[in-house]
Amino acid sequence: MTTLNFRARVPVFDANIGVGHLRNRASPFETSEQLLREMDRHGVARALIYHLQGEAMSALEGNERLLSWVDGQSALHPQWAADPTPESLAQLQQLHRPGQLTSIRLHNTRDCGLPFADWIYGDLLEWLAAERIPLWLSLADTPAVEVRETLRRFPDLVTVLLGGHYIHSMIVGPLLRQLPQAHLELSRYEGLGKIPPLIREFGIRRLVYGSFYPRYAMGPMLFSLHHLGLETGDLELVCSGNLERILKQGEDR
Amino acid sequence: MIAGTRVIDFHGHVGRWDGAGMRDDPDEMLRAMDAVGIDQSCLFNIFYPDGRTGNDLTARFVKRHPDRFIGFAYVSPLMPDTMAPELERAVDHLGMRAIKIYPSYTPFPLDNPVWDPVYDFAHRRGLVIITHTGIEPTTAPRFLSQVAPRFPGARFVAGHAGNVEPFRAQAIRAARTCPNVFLETCSSFRSPGVVEELVQKAGAERVLYGSDTPLMDPRCQIGKILTADISDQAKRLILGENACRLLGI
Repeated sequence: MTTLNFRARVPVFDANIGVGHLRNRASPFETSEQLLREMDRHGVARALIYHLQGEAMSALEGNERLLSWVDGQSALHPQWAADPTPESLAQLQQLHRPGQLTSIRLHNTRDCGLPFADWIYGDLLEWLAAERIPLWLSLADTPAVEVRETLRRFPDLVTVLLGGHYIHSMIVGPLLRQLPQAHLELSRYEGLGKIPPLIREFGIRRLVYGSFYPRYAMGPMLFSLHHLGLETGDLELVCSGNLERILKQGEDR
Repeated sequence: MIAGTRVIDFHGHVGRWDGAGMRDDPDEMLRAMDAVGIDQSCLFNIFYPDGRTGNDLTARFVKRHPDRFIGFAYVSPLMPDTMAPELERAVDHLGMRAIKIYPSYTPFPLDNPVWDPVYDFAHRRGLVIITHTGIEPTTAPRFLSQVAPRFPGARFVAGHAGNVEPFRAQAIRAARTCPNVFLETCSSFRSPGVVEELVQKAGAERVLYGSDTPLMDPRCQIGKILTADISDQAKRLILGENACRLLGI
């Protein structure tokens, strides 16, 4: 029964939270503690966080700024940004040595006018696949044709596709069919009746909950997933289990 | 019902929009409504400028579940001669309870006189008009501040409450300055703090829950209200009490 107030009833590990201010958008929170309070309000225990500057402006600088957000915070897991330059790859390799790297988020390719192509991103993608490090990639910022063509060349690279929206409703299914190692992050995928067919065709393990906070409010999609009629075990997988498994593959290397 | 409150979704569609994956399957819509306690959804078809074609589709859709769906009439100034007679037909013969307009599908801003026959009809009949508001040049909510005082018998609902800044601020300003302007919450931009802002600046009695079903899942959109940091009483007003008052149900 629906009540006037909501808190998650399964463990939640949010796969998509950005921290820090952007040049054109101030964040509603300034500190890890403020973010943790908002997470607690919805019953979110852990979050994978990236620095918004890393995605939008500079992967190198964003990653440096991310360090202070995760320092001493066991509930906040860092996700490092990447661009196709040798400097970025060197930074990631340095972070990887002490085991700090469990996932990567690609910078905004559209903002840079770069096609997501192997002749530009090949070195990065090859290294990620070899090290079994999963890649988060935005469907909102990357043409679906490029996603398909490029990721097909790296069949061992595990990916999480972000930003799927109702305008992608005719693309998501074919992409997941073409890319068996791809998962869909659900923060924006809210067309009526769109998630159950994905579960039927691809299984519950291909779906990952993320909030896209602070661009989006943290609670609505989480609330919605709790009312999709999923078995508790399946809900747990979407809300935390699948993300844990995706991140662990790098640790098990 | 949610916690004893009758829940009305004030923004929904009849029709198909295949490119966006929108399909008006009543069973799917009812399943989503039942999953979270939505009692009734208000629906309109905005895809036919003659009004009649879409209104007939809406009426047929509502007739299958008249206790769960409420039809709103749609007309367009692309076919100006049809507007007044079609509104009369839709309200008096098809039982439509309110009016939907969609200026984005026209070159005419909300304050253009071509819309006056719609506003005048609602004024004379004491009806609600819900309009899309947002970033499009024809749909800026600031126009409501000019139009609403001229037609005090009509109630104007800013669909999406302007959607994003600075249009949200315009919508809030219209609601604050015009007692017959209300704000509806659905949006694919689910920015944090928006529901809280609408309540704080316009008052909970001026805010209506809407989802854009079946383009968007009403579960996610109602989650905006139920996870907002506002009082339970504010949630009750937004979820249905305000809509019941506006629609006289």
